[in-house]
Amino acid sequence: MTTPILEIKNLHVKVEEEDKKILKGVDLTLPAGEVHAIMGRNGSGKSTLSYVLAGKEGYEVTEGEILFMGKDLLEMEADERAAAGLFLAFQYPIEIPGVATMTFLKAALNAQRKTRGEEELKVPEFMKLVKDAANQLEIKQDMLKRPLNVGFSGGEKKRAEILQMALMQPSLCVLDETDSGLDIDALKIVSDGVNHLRDANRSMLVITHYQRLLNYIVPDRVHVFSDGRVVESGDRELALELEKKGYAEFDGTAA
Amino acid sequence: MEQQVVKLTDAENQLADLLKAAGANDASNALSAHGLPHRRIEEYHYTDLRTLLRDVPSDLAQANDRLPDVQFEGYGRIVIVNGKLVHADEIGGVEIKSADAAAKSVGNDQIINLMDGLAQNQIEITINTSLDKPIHIAHVHDGPDSVVADKVRVTTAEGVHATIVETFEGANARGLRFANFALDVAADAEMLHVQLDQNAEGARQFVQNTYDLHENANLRTLASHANFKLGRTDIKADFKGEGAHADFAGLTLLMDQQHGDFTLNVNHGVPNTTSTETFKSIVRDRAKAIFQGKIIVAPDAQKTDAQMMSQGLLLSERAEVLVKPELEIFADDVLCAHGATCGELDEDALFYLMSRGIKRAEAESMLIRAFLAELFDEMENEQVRDKLGDRVDAWLAAAE
Ligand SMILES: Nc1ncnc2c1ncn2[C@@H]1O[C@H](COP(=O)(O)OP(=O)(O)OP(=O)(O)O)[C@@H](O)[C@H]1O
Ligand SMILES: [Mg+2]
Repeated sequence: MTTPILEIKNLHVKVEEEDKKILKGVDLTLPAGEVHAIMGRNGSGKSTLSYVLAGKEGYEVTEGEILFMGKDLLEMEADERAAAGLFLAFQYPIEIPGVATMTFLKAALNAQRKTRGEEELKVPEFMKLVKDAANQLEIKQDMLKRPLNVGFSGGEKKRAEILQMALMQPSLCVLDETDSGLDIDALKIVSDGVNHLRDANRSMLVITHYQRLLNYIVPDRVHVFSDGRVVESGDRELALELEKKGYAEFDGTAA
Repeated sequence: MEQQVVKLTDAENQLADLLKAAGANDASNALSAHGLPHRRIEEYHYTDLRTLLRDVPSDLAQANDRLPDVQFEGYGRIVIVNGKLVHADEIGGVEIKSADAAAKSVGNDQIINLMDGLAQNQIEITINTSLDKPIHIAHVHDGPDSVVADKVRVTTAEGVHATIVETFEGANARGLRFANFALDVAADAEMLHVQLDQNAEGARQFVQNTYDLHENANLRTLASHANFKLGRTDIKADFKGEGAHADFAGLTLLMDQQHGDFTLNVNHGVPNTTSTETFKSIVRDRAKAIFQGKIIVAPDAQKTDAQMMSQGLLLSERAEVLVKPELEIFADDVLCAHGATCGELDEDALFYLMSRGIKRAEAESMLIRAFLAELFDEMENEQVRDKLGDRVDAWLAAAE
């Protein structure tokens, strides 16, 4: 069997310098080429899991490990993880005034290439890549001239995340509520963009509250997340069941 | 006869002697009577020169004709070395001459008295027509253990457009430089005045810029403190004609134990004048940046609009940005505001950039540049922007 893209084993995470435990024994294996969905209550730790995967500071792993294509992910800096092929589409993308979106995209792509020992992209090559990807996501060129995410509408921010993902061609895509804030048409466009990236060598972890997204991005497996752990896993039918019955059926606590 | 109220430090005695030797007896006596400005003098509260300026050179810098290192392509160049005009390009429409420094008046500010008292020459520049080439005034301080005092007076004809870029180089941490600059912006004239600190070593430098603005005059200024060991730029602006507008900007980049002080006094003395003040400071290690900005609106100066903003970025725990904005408004129909922010680099923004593969150091410099972007965007002069950019790069590189 080939190495899974991602293996999370008994992961316990707390907030640094505080007593607050958030993740309490997450186990999850994501084989190459598969799309897994995570659904769970507000505050159950889904975004925290995505941050820990991406390497955000301020969290302490007290137990367990994460293997990314067989390597110890927790040993790597956030930028090294990105260069190695991990991408997080943020639930709340950060606005960065003073940094033009194009400048940022170029810096990011070239930084990853440099870390991997590849040559920098030539300007025309870069421009074409961005233009094609933006067209596919129906992102207007003038949005790319603006400072990164500044004044972008909620939906525009999510599209910009997927644009970055398309440009970076990661091996692992973690999508944290990419569907929230998208109108019906945008949901379709973004889902098409995501589906376009589905590949035998690429895996996705899709965090969502809505089974509707999973009609577009059809998952291989669905995990129910509760109080910092995966409490149930199943095929895509599980999402429908969850929507019908509510979380209490699965985690035994009333809403 | 003034009464001596303080026990003078060696530095104060030495400066008083220098003033006497320069023929500025009144200034010398005033300094002996009051000493250097200290923390109990409001304007110097954060820049206590009795403690910060303990050792000073004993001599004025000797005449010298070393040429400046800093160059601008295609500018008309005026070179002042150790207080003396040593070179002036032929610039059409501009008269340049060196005169004996004018009468040395004595006021309450001992630093200004020193500036005036020690300057031997006054470089007078008259701009009679609009210029398509900027003027570069290069201030060179040659000879490390000396005191230098440069004095420049610029007057303009009505309606002219011109740019003056001043650079300071050659000063170091043992020497002491004073520079006094005055610009009279005539009616309908449009001026850009930039001062770049290009000193290679941390300098000790005191600058005063005085601006008079006449009817419908337009002025943009930018001054930088990029490598001061100890420095202060004192900006005084007087709105004397209606319809005038000015934008004042300052950039401070300090490290180690450097200390830089921008003190600004903008006097809206007549109705219908507007100004903006934008001062940005980035400090690390144990450096200290000070911004004191005072806007005065005279009783009949209705329709004044003054917007002051100061922003500080702290890159180390022990670095400090001290801000004192003051509005003294005596008219009722005015729009005046000041805002001050001070903080560290945004960790969430850093993480976002790093999560896209950008290394921490590069992410930090992207955010630092972003913090300064506004100052750069407003600066249309490309060579000035490049020089500033190089300075920021060098400063960032020095941290790594
Ligand atoms: N740095 C932190 N300090 C303190 N508490 C934190 C921190 N980060 C997360 N938490 C808390 O941990 C819990 C999990 O948060 P998280 O954002 O991971 O939830 P989520 O499952 O993504 O929720 P949602 O569905 O609302 O997005 C919440 O109670 C949150 O307040
Ligand atoms: Mg979340």
